[in-house]
Amino acid sequence: MNIITTKNLSKEYSSKSFSKEKILALNNFSFEVESGEIFGILGPNGAGKTTLIKILLGITHRTKGEVKIFDNEINTETYKFKVGYLPENHKFPNYLNGEQVMEFYGKMSGMNTAGVRKKTDELLKIVDMEKWRKTKIKKYSKGMLQRLGLAQAMINDPELIFLDEPTDGVDPIGRKEIRDILEDLKDRGKTIFLNSHLLSEVELICDRVAIMHKGSLVKSGRVDEITHISDNYIINCSDISEAIMNKLMMNFKATILSINEFHFKSDNIDELNRLIDFIRQNKILIRGIQREKNTLENMFINLIGSQN
Amino acid sequence: MIFLTLVLSTFREAVAKKIFLGFFAISTLIILIFLFLINVESVEGMVDMMGAAGDEGIRKLVIGFEVAMIDISYLLIITFCLISVSSFIPSMLEKGNIDLLLSKPISRTNIILAKFTGGVLLVFFSLVYLIGFVWIILSSKSGFWHFPFLYTILWLTLSFAIIYSLIIFIGLVSHSTILSILVSFFLVFIVCPVLYVREATIFSLVENNVVQFIINFFYYILPKPSDINKITTDIITGEEVNSYMPVFSSVLFMLAVLSASVFYFKKKDY
Repeated sequence: MNIITTKNLSKEYSSKSFSKEKILALNNFSFEVESGEIFGILGPNGAGKTTLIKILLGITHRTKGEVKIFDNEINTETYKFKVGYLPENHKFPNYLNGEQVMEFYGKMSGMNTAGVRKKTDELLKIVDMEKWRKTKIKKYSKGMLQRLGLAQAMINDPELIFLDEPTDGVDPIGRKEIRDILEDLKDRGKTIFLNSHLLSEVELICDRVAIMHKGSLVKSGRVDEITHISDNYIINCSDISEAIMNKLMMNFKATILSINEFHFKSDNIDELNRLIDFIRQNKILIRGIQREKNTLENMFINLIGSQN
Repeated sequence: MIFLTLVLSTFREAVAKKIFLGFFAISTLIILIFLFLINVESVEGMVDMMGAAGDEGIRKLVIGFEVAMIDISYLLIITFCLISVSSFIPSMLEKGNIDLLLSKPISRTNIILAKFTGGVLLVFFSLVYLIGFVWIILSSKSGFWHFPFLYTILWLTLSFAIIYSLIIFIGLVSHSTILSILVSFFLVFIVCPVLYVREATIFSLVENNVVQFIINFFYYILPKPSDINKITTDIITGEEVNSYMPVFSSVLFMLAVLSASVFYFKKKDY
């Protein structure tokens, strides 16, 4: 079942106030997010990722196209009872403490006082902010604000959570903890829509991704399909003579990278073993064989580079 | 429930920004000055003298104090209120704050109405404290319990609400606290008082019908806090109110500006 569906979604902005010149932030953008998955949205700065999230949440108005969340058009505010949101660079009223932030946004999500208190206790413990609950948030570090923001996004036990750069300003241990929280939410059947610049992080936790560029959808699919393990091997060894190099190129179609490193491509494991036998017979020591993986980052850079 | 949460958040913001404390301090100062004044010997002597003239004398003295109180409240409290609440909308519109607010299940219309209600209630409760205490002091001292004076709370709150609607609109369009204060002050303390006395001043200098028509046009479409102040004074003194047109037209102005604010806010991308 699709939780989010957009069809030909477009958004035009005026470049300046009262100007007729338009900037196309989203261009006929169509995609779906399925229930219970972690969906990542990727793209360079200005690709339209935040605009897309803001349209889905009714913060920005679309110019044209269809948007359905929970299978309903987003014409009313009702769907927001089941939605949580952590904006990028969020700004909570700085006169509140952690607990009051949770109370305010919980009640703004339609919860009653008892429900808010129960969830606040539970969530502040999960994001490791319990001991700071009575401290005014103006004294919080960026990482602490981010943790509180994440707790705030989960206060109403939403079915769908939008996270815009959730690990921004968070240290590596904190990032791992946030990833664990997101995995836990996924296990509980929640759908997460994630926008992050940290591609390695997206690769670790997302089930599917969509890559945007200049307002358009460039590629989408399962992360494991996009970052499939290739049939390319890098073989690192002791110095290779010129004669052996020639044989490697002629017989095994290897690409010599340096005097002690070459590239070999094959989808046949027997052929790889024949190559190893050949090297060993020629008294060359193998230091390492590495199977190349097409990381999300490599794929992203290549894809965006080819679009420019 | 969500609407109420947003209204109460306005109060919390007022407490955090020391606005409530400011109201309380200014009101308490006025009350203490008042208390001091009516206990000085010359005033006590005046009360005795007016008392000797019978109930009517006491009544005139009490009403005199009350009218003075309205002017003081109008100047001090309304000024303080306008400055205090001008930041409510620009701070709500700050990036990272408005995004989160709009992601919650509350309509944009209700966000504006909740902010408006919060500001108006804030001023209402502050006036209840100030006017209520002054009324109790005056009444217990004089023995004359003049209930119409309490209507001042409602009239002054209405005056504030009318100007506050404009502050909301300017705040929404400009995101600027300073501009909201400047425009509301210019309107309340310059434009409206001048338009209020236009017949005695401007029209005696300018006889051109077109100019007079334009000035009248602005008088009728703009809010009329000076006229409302005069109506309040007339009600307290027991004089007949000539016309309630200034009240109706000011309320219409408020409704129109609030509607414009809602319309603008609903269309705007954040």
